[in-house]
Amino acid sequence: MQKKINLDISEVQPREQRLGTIIAWDGDIEELHRQSNFAGRAAGCGSGKGCRLCELQGPFSQGSVCSEQMVECQAGNVRDAVLIQHAPIGCGAGQVPYNSIYRNGLAMRGHKVENIRIINTNLGEDDVVFGAADKLRSAIDSAWTRYEPKAIFIATSCATGIIGEDVESIAREKQEEIGVPIIPMACEGFRSKHWSTGFDATQHGILRQLVRKNPKKQEDLVNVINLWGSDVFTPMLANLNLRVNYVIDLASVEDLAKMSEAAATVGFCYTLSSYLAAALEQHFGVPEVKAPMPYGFAGTDAWLRELARVTHREELAEKYIENEHKRVLPRIAELKEKLKGIKGYVATGSAYSHGLIQVLRELDVEVNGSLVFHHDPVYDSGDEKEDSLGHLLKNYGNVENFHVSNRQQYQLYAFLQKVHPDFMLIRHNGLAPLASRLGIPAAPLGDEHIAIGYQGIINLGETILDILARKKFHNSIKAHVKLPYTDWWIKQKDPYILARQNKI
Amino acid sequence: MAGKMIEQERYTCAIGALQSVVAIPKALPILHSGPGCGMMVRGFFERSTGYAGGSTSPCTNFSESEVVFGGIEKLRKIIANSYKILNSDLQVILTGCTAGIVGDDIDSLADEFREAGRPIVTVETAGFKSNNFVAHSDVVKAIIDQYTNIFINDNPVRSEKKTINLFASIPYQDQFWKGNLRTYKYLLEQLGFKVHVLFGPESDGVAEWQQIPRANFNVLISPWYGQSIVEHLENIYEQPFFKFPHIPIGANETEKFLHGVLKFAEGLNVRLDYPKAENFIKRASAAYYEELDNLATFLLEFRYGLPSYVHIIHDAGYVTGLAKFLLHETGIVPKEQFIVDNTPEKFQQSIREDLQSISAKKIVPLTFEPDAGKVQDIVRNIVHEGRGLLIGSGWDKELSREKGFDFISASVPSPYRLVLSTGYAGFHGGLRVMEDIFNTVLASYR
Repeated sequence: MQKKINLDISEVQPREQRLGTIIAWDGDIEELHRQSNFAGRAAGCGSGKGCRLCELQGPFSQGSVCSEQMVECQAGNVRDAVLIQHAPIGCGAGQVPYNSIYRNGLAMRGHKVENIRIINTNLGEDDVVFGAADKLRSAIDSAWTRYEPKAIFIATSCATGIIGEDVESIAREKQEEIGVPIIPMACEGFRSKHWSTGFDATQHGILRQLVRKNPKKQEDLVNVINLWGSDVFTPMLANLNLRVNYVIDLASVEDLAKMSEAAATVGFCYTLSSYLAAALEQHFGVPEVKAPMPYGFAGTDAWLRELARVTHREELAEKYIENEHKRVLPRIAELKEKLKGIKGYVATGSAYSHGLIQVLRELDVEVNGSLVFHHDPVYDSGDEKEDSLGHLLKNYGNVENFHVSNRQQYQLYAFLQKVHPDFMLIRHNGLAPLASRLGIPAAPLGDEHIAIGYQGIINLGETILDILARKKFHNSIKAHVKLPYTDWWIKQKDPYILARQNKI
Repeated sequence: MAGKMIEQERYTCAIGALQSVVAIPKALPILHSGPGCGMMVRGFFERSTGYAGGSTSPCTNFSESEVVFGGIEKLRKIIANSYKILNSDLQVILTGCTAGIVGDDIDSLADEFREAGRPIVTVETAGFKSNNFVAHSDVVKAIIDQYTNIFINDNPVRSEKKTINLFASIPYQDQFWKGNLRTYKYLLEQLGFKVHVLFGPESDGVAEWQQIPRANFNVLISPWYGQSIVEHLENIYEQPFFKFPHIPIGANETEKFLHGVLKFAEGLNVRLDYPKAENFIKRASAAYYEELDNLATFLLEFRYGLPSYVHIIHDAGYVTGLAKFLLHETGIVPKEQFIVDNTPEKFQQSIREDLQSISAKKIVPLTFEPDAGKVQDIVRNIVHEGRGLLIGSGWDKELSREKGFDFISASVPSPYRLVLSTGYAGFHGGLRVMEDIFNTVLASYR
């Protein structure tokens, strides 16, 4: 096993330091898998020079996303908590999309729909010069009087990080005074080169201050680490007589506290679940289900079997697997017929892309290119059974054009020119408009659970048929909208040319 | 602006003024900031990426290393390479909190590119320095000082007597900015002016910005934001300005606005065809009142309840403009009003007076409060007779449901409404407000 997660430190260790995360790379997955050396890292090579995965560093970048935003959409989406952004008001701009996601997520899961509860301390110039400890204290008081939350999260910002504001002691002081957990999270935008560190920052705070220390075990409870997606896991796990505890988004503080009582933890995307699941196992004895992610037949079979093994429900799982195969195969055969000769492209977060490509290949959709926002050569547990890239490679073969590019739209242009897909699957904003300007229909996967499990194969197939029907609309856009890119760039074959020239 | 905490914000920090760059055709914002700033701004406003803005703006994506050693080297490379990758007529560098605290000297860096003949402008927009209402003016003034001035020899000051520069809706912060600017331009052109609208599809892009000095005078439609632009122009080009302190919505205020501009031009001896201009106003007004008559018929014959009073939660220009319009042209009575734009204190008195001029008999209670979470608590506890209407932002949808109000989303953030080219200003804008309000009422009709 790799290094143990350290919950004694107040600030989470950034992903690049823990996992060797990179944000720019060009090649195919065979090569990426070899260079990542999941097994080698898992054996504990850690910072050893032998398995360093090299990153392309270019002299040009477009904007990205920051860790604080991930904290907003995780800690900010806990139902009976309040998040305080100790930041200038601009960091609060993110509340708008995350409120929308929160509200629609609540509706999808049958909770009462309400606005997100985030308070911004609205730092000004004086605060940056003299510090704003009192402002933070008064925001904590207001959070308490306005909502009486079960917990108060505090997100730091670039500004508080640079001036060295001591958020931790203020949190400790106010926690004693008010009597609910007050949880500081270090998520300055500049702290990590990849925003997924923000997931880890939230999870770190929850693990340190919310998860119950002396749990009463519930042998049928399973933590499902997910986002806001529709409730596909409850019916699925009911077949194994298991109950779902969804975390972190849309969970209550109690749901988070009782994570230590569960019989197992599963995820749908290792990018998101890596840290929390590993720490729950290491520090609270909740086994993490170490298996390929539940996408496509091979992944879902293996995922269910491992969950069943950990929770001692093997027979139920086998029965469910057999029935489901029988149920979905005829429709999948029809979809394959309709999707014959269609080529797809996946542009999403790292592990999620591995899963989607698997589903597309189950449907016989050709996938010869994908863009991921970052790549983690290993996950926190260090267990090879979680090697999602390896699973994809072994069961579904190579993906020739595999690019790591941290939401760099200018590169996507060149990627797409190389593979000419008929459609694109995306998950995050910012990239779809370009696809549209190139005449390529894109499906924004608003419900991230759409492709999960056996039914997910059918769902995704049907979504693709829907979006292909919109081809004409996108062609009209292509014909009339001018791209901002220069002719030189548009003719450029190598999306990483600037980085390579930089090296020379 | 060391203000208090804010919940449910209705504006954003200074770097939000990147949208003012996005709104200039073929201008390129370059962010010297943390990695999330562009995406934050993009998320706050709807459909706001434009030509090459939002998260696609070139950005230095500050990391620990830039925080410790400064980010000038990285910025230099990014600017140089943005010329290779992106076509643009004007580059505007905006700084974030990181660059602001670290103290990078972006001006000297910009000089290097200027010497090479690049049209490049720098603006300090660290989030803790100000908000986007204020920084919008900073962006405009920076472009005038660092770009427009380069072309001053080809554009003699006040050389075109019938030309005006218009400063009104802040792009994207006013979700109706495109429609409003188009309306102002059209109306003023009908009076005989040539109008530099500067932002949006009606603008000629940088060519128009180069010609700002030629204008005879400036028109400001705003209670306070943007005022420092016209004052600056008065200082450097001696262009006087005409100020109209709220958005002219409907016939009363639009006529007042247009007559005001005409009178101002007359004072400057601008040779317009004044009778023709008056005739245009008359005809536009007559067409408007024909529809108001239709509305009256609807109001009188509708049996199932109509909103009788309104709360507005918006910026000062809209609160006053909408309140005046609603009282006089739809009969909906303005009750407690809330201005959430962080109005500087020195403008608050004149805004109060402007709103109060609505009626000699009625007092309209007005609160200036940027913490809209607090505003919602106030509204939650107000009780009036009759059916209420709330005009606010997407944040207020839930409150409206709670209170049983009809709800119009007319302020950012506005995730529940698609606005493409709709405007609320002018004669047609007033009719559109009526359509929006009474369509909402009709949607509740069984």
